[in-house]
Amino acid sequence: MPTTDPLARRYRRLLRWYPRDWRRARAAEVMALLLDTAPPGRTRPTARETVDLVRGGLRCRLGRPASFSVVAWAALATVICGLFTGALASRAAWETSRPQPDRAEAGAILTEVFPGHDLGDIDVPPALFVVYGHALTLRTVKTVLIGDGGEYQESATGATAFGAPPVPAEQIIAVARQRLTDAGWRLYDPQVSAYTGCTDKLCATPLPITDTTLTARRGDTILNASISTQTAADASYLAVELHRAPPPAVVPAGVLGALLGAVAGFLLFGWASRRTEGRRVSGAATFLFGVTMVLWWLPVLLTAPSLVGHHLDEPHPAWHPLWEWLGQPTASLLFLVGAVCALLALGLAAEPRRDRSPVALVD
Amino acid sequence: MREPTFLILTALASGPRHGYGIVREVTELSAGRVTLLAGTLYTALDRLAAEGLITHDHDETVDGRLRRYYRLTDRGIAALDAETARLRQLTTAAEARLRHLRSRPA
Repeated sequence: MPTTDPLARRYRRLLRWYPRDWRRARAAEVMALLLDTAPPGRTRPTARETVDLVRGGLRCRLGRPASFSVVAWAALATVICGLFTGALASRAAWETSRPQPDRAEAGAILTEVFPGHDLGDIDVPPALFVVYGHALTLRTVKTVLIGDGGEYQESATGATAFGAPPVPAEQIIAVARQRLTDAGWRLYDPQVSAYTGCTDKLCATPLPITDTTLTARRGDTILNASISTQTAADASYLAVELHRAPPPAVVPAGVLGALLGAVAGFLLFGWASRRTEGRRVSGAATFLFGVTMVLWWLPVLLTAPSLVGHHLDEPHPAWHPLWEWLGQPTASLLFLVGAVCALLALGLAAEPRRDRSPVALVD
Repeated sequence: MREPTFLILTALASGPRHGYGIVREVTELSAGRVTLLAGTLYTALDRLAAEGLITHDHDETVDGRLRRYYRLTDRGIAALDAETARLRQLTTAAEARLRHLRSRPA
């Protein structure tokens, strides 16, 4: 009903938070109540009324008014959809990054930071993210999706020096730290680990070995260098990796993607919940949805705490990508099965229903 | 049963009422402590209808505004009866203990 009353117009706009079917059946009586309770002269809904109608509309979109658990399920679906789409958007934003350092750039850095070391050939990766050292292609995507998703990682330009260190490891570390600082790199606390190695196959003479990892960042480039006190000719005493930090677009893209995905997840969940309410397919749809939530949330709950520990244990010039926090694509098979279950549940919800009133109170 | 739900059922115990009537009755019953807003009221009405405690009675149009009346069902009457008995038992127990407390010498 068109109206020129600004208060009525604003109330009507707020009622758009409710699903269309519900509005069609109930908007007139709710409008009557809102206008009956509004004191004369009011032109705008109060903040309390606005919050109340938004909350009521969102709850109404979930259907199943007698169910308390539907709110918890909706929250789970909304958050996980937001996380996945946020991860997808942040991955897309990674494409704004410069490629990993090429030979010229890496060579200049290595010569500057590690002078006098024979680092051999510089290995330049074929893409920003690789699977077993190869760019992701239609052929390798199968590897990622079915079983080996953990091998999908950010690549790095690398170089290695073999044999016994020409100078004591402590000296290599001291020189590298000094040169990194002089060249404007931000240095992080070095990580030191000690273990016992062998000088021969029978390990008759145990040898204490110390590995030191240097981490530094300058601009969008991160350097990881591992310096070992080992002396075996076929093992490395210095291994250096250079890779890119996440480009600036990653965080805003991730946040925007997460928000859009959360909204879409909430609306889809609400639509399917209302469509299956009181129908024979409700049980099957609920079961499929439950399986999806378990398969999508399980990797998150298993991965995120261990990644928090990993972040606290070691210096990180940049956070791990969002998808790794969600256990993806390591658990991509679970994600895929969950996605199939979700699509089946949506398919059941989309089946034509014998039309009964969407609002139980309206005959 | 939460207080707003109890108050809505109590408001409908005296006969069918429309949304505005329920809001006014709840405010009066609670001596002004509880003022139901539209979103909260209709969420509660939807829930009570889904639980079979209330149902649609009839519609009226007054001054061009639709008034939809609701009434208690038999299940709603039983639920209100049970909740009233529960509250009465609690109130009686609390009153007995308070009497005992006040009768003790200081």
